[in-house]
Amino acid sequence: MKIKYFAWIKEITSSEEEEINSSKIKNLDQLKFFIITKYPDLKKHLNKEILRFAVNQEYVVENIDLNMGDEIAVFPPVSGG
Amino acid sequence: MIKIQKEDFNSEEEINKIKKLYSNTGAVTSFVGYVRDYNNNNKVQSINLEVYERMAHKQFKKIISEAKSRWNLLDCLIIHRYGKLNVNSKIVLVTCFSEHRKDSFESCNFIMEFLKKDAPFWKNEFYNKENQWLTNFN
Repeated sequence: MKIKYFAWIKEITSSEEEEINSSKIKNLDQLKFFIITKYPDLKKHLNKEILRFAVNQEYVVENIDLNMGDEIAVFPPVSGG
Repeated sequence: MIKIQKEDFNSEEEINKIKKLYSNTGAVTSFVGYVRDYNNNNKVQSINLEVYERMAHKQFKKIISEAKSRWNLLDCLIIHRYGKLNVNSKIVLVTCFSEHRKDSFESCNFIMEFLKKDAPFWKNEFYNKENQWLTNFN
């Protein structure tokens, strides 16, 4: 699956996107655990519920199952308009 | 119609392109958002607007469909720019076309409320010596 990072999240991850092929990541909660382990500076933002998650371009709040071809986006609150 | 683009646009031309498709149009409501010169007690030089384009398209399509289900609309237009934008530049245009004004007024506001809250765009505002990522609060 592909993970995309936006805005200041990219400054923490130092990358815009990455491919992950791990049989351990089967749902969104496991993906959250993966990213805060890999990027510890994201943990405080996750804990404060600042991070937003989208799966296949739809906002997701609950812990849904993930599939291999999914595109997951991680980003801060928006500021368009 | 949805456009996500770097380039500036002519609001009147864009509106007229759609208006001429519907001779029963009686009301057109537009909102245009611009880059302000002052924010957070700092003089703004420019902003860099980042977008998750694929999601923005999908979400705009959904919100237009939702607006059309709630109000009697002939059409909706959303143009949102991204990239480097200087002070006074247009950022966004939302226009709703209907037979009567109530439908266009209310739906235009509805789309803008969605856009400020959920559309996947992020402003990085540049001042003299620093920059800051913004968050919409209203």
